Amino acid sequence: MSTPDAPRLRRHRIDWEAASLELLFKALTALAVLFLLAPSVIVILTSFTSSASLKFPPPGLSLRWYVALFDADQMQRAAWNSLQVAFWTTLISVTLGTAASLAIARSSSPWIRAADVLFMSPLVLPALAFGFASLIFVYRLGFRPNLPFLVLAHVVVCVPFVLRTTLAALTQLDPALLDASTSLGASPWMTFRRVTLPLIGRGVAAGGFLAFMASFDNVPVSLFLADERTEVLPIHLWQQIETNLDVRTAAASGLIVLFTLVLMIAAERFAGLTRQLR
Amino acid sequence: MDGNAAPSRTAALRQLSQAAHRGHDLRLEQITHRFGDGIAVNGVDLHVTGGELVALLGPSGCGKSTLLRIIAGFISQTAGRVLFDGALVDHLKANRRGVGIVFQNYALFPHMTVAENVAYGLQAHHWPKERIAPRVAEMLDLVHMNAFAERRPSQLSGGQQQRIALARCLAIDPKILLLDEPFGALDKNLRLDMQIEVKRLQRIAGITTLLVTHDQEEALSMADRIAVMNKGRIEQVAAPTAIYDQPASLFVNQFVGTTNVFAGEVIEISAHYVRVRLDGGAVITALPGSAFSVGARIIVTIRPHHLRLAPSTGSDGMPGVVKTVLPLGPEVVYDVETAGGRGVKVVVARDADLAPVEIGQSVHLVPLALHSFRIFAA
Repeated sequence: MSTPDAPRLRRHRIDWEAASLELLFKALTALAVLFLLAPSVIVILTSFTSSASLKFPPPGLSLRWYVALFDADQMQRAAWNSLQVAFWTTLISVTLGTAASLAIARSSSPWIRAADVLFMSPLVLPALAFGFASLIFVYRLGFRPNLPFLVLAHVVVCVPFVLRTTLAALTQLDPALLDASTSLGASPWMTFRRVTLPLIGRGVAAGGFLAFMASFDNVPVSLFLADERTEVLPIHLWQQIETNLDVRTAAASGLIVLFTLVLMIAAERFAGLTRQLR
Repeated sequence: MDGNAAPSRTAALRQLSQAAHRGHDLRLEQITHRFGDGIAVNGVDLHVTGGELVALLGPSGCGKSTLLRIIAGFISQTAGRVLFDGALVDHLKANRRGVGIVFQNYALFPHMTVAENVAYGLQAHHWPKERIAPRVAEMLDLVHMNAFAERRPSQLSGGQQQRIALARCLAIDPKILLLDEPFGALDKNLRLDMQIEVKRLQRIAGITTLLVTHDQEEALSMADRIAVMNKGRIEQVAAPTAIYDQPASLFVNQFVGTTNVFAGEVIEISAHYVRVRLDGGAVITALPGSAFSVGARIIVTIRPHHLRLAPSTGSDGMPGVVKTVLPLGPEVVYDVETAGGRGVKVVVARDADLAPVEIGQSVHLVPLALHSFRIFAA
């Protein structure tokens, strides 16, 4: 007697389970979105304040702090430094990362695997420790921290992004295409330029975008390797907040959010960023 | 050759048949290739004369693809020599060998148009710009694909992609053409059309061709000669009919066409025949082939077409009971269970006037001729 009833009962219970699970996931997602967006929204709203303090909600709205950015020489210099560092970091990371991933994808040697792990390690190792270590390293070499060293250190932590996206693109690349190119008489360089690069280009571009962003808002490495002259934007903003609660930092943050959004939309359009990262 | 001439099929054909006179000769000498502990190709000798189409036929993992990659120059063999026209090519990199390959998935460059795909090899060979466009048009004309020059490969059907792959490959006038399972991805009707088309182009071009395939029908229908490969070795090289009718080994016999296999023991040998007792108990008479002594354990095979069903009154042949009858249009396929429970396939032409033998009927299986049986060492 109990046998025919059992499936119905169980089905009933599963329905409840599924419903509550779905509710739970929806709640968690909403919470996650809230936590991700809320800080940015608060900063942007605050940046439009008319008052002289970082108060939320703002008592009145104005653009005075954005206007004030025009006179913020130090902040502008820091932003220019950050852009320069991010540009060179991206250029070098893309070049080295692409070259490394080509070798890694092509070889099955255990040494190459080891190199892969080594190149990826900055992603998991504490960047603070790496920043400190590189500062000691630079001094031991007899130098003082400067822009080239800052760029080099950024390259170390940004290469993994290029490596991952390019390797992912390379695994999608049909090796028969490379064989076809070779058998048609193409040199390795021609094969790379005409076949490999166009087909993995989006992966490389996605990695370049990530590397750029990672360099642009890197704090732990810059903290050690940036000095007065090479001060970068995130560090400068941090110091402004710490010393005098400068409202201009909110305006600068607003601009950074806008800048990032524009870059992301561009990356999505031209490189299909989210598809490359999947 | 006038590169500026209006592209026409006749021009392309004329040029290709001029190439026919220099069909290149391919020779493999004692090619051996090891991967770690495994041996993929084991002492292969093969000579393909100019303009000939030879099929490398074998199951997957038999080493045929490795052999193809060695000829193309993608991998270097562990031992042995590859010669084109008697000249060693082992030192030549893959992009300098002049070997054209049509890949199983065609390997067309997805980010280029059809015309760009065909032009690619010409650019790689540093053809002057003004000669490339006419040559591309010529090649597309040859494979009846002019109308598709500006399409992307993804917009083409499988058969069309294959035509482009072939045009791209022939454009650079390769010495040797390698076809790597080229028809595997096509549906059955199209496959036959493309086989005819490829064979036509190969004939016109007179280009020495190696067709790598695991499909026996493909090999039988297309090749001038077939080299059957198994476990890294070539078991037999012969014309398709010889491969089918006089298989040199049990493997060839079983791999090419279907066959019934029996184990047995030689019980009598004379100058004209050999008598074998099959493990089921039946005694059969065959022609003496290789040297076997009385008492030797052997394998006897016979193709389903070489058996007929006789009423179970005579004592000749193998007794059995019909288990399955499949009338397949012009033929009827019978599955007959013989002594010892072994199922034997028999295919006979269907006689419209005679009703097929029915299921459950006792019959005797009789060979059409003594030479229908083939005997191999067990």
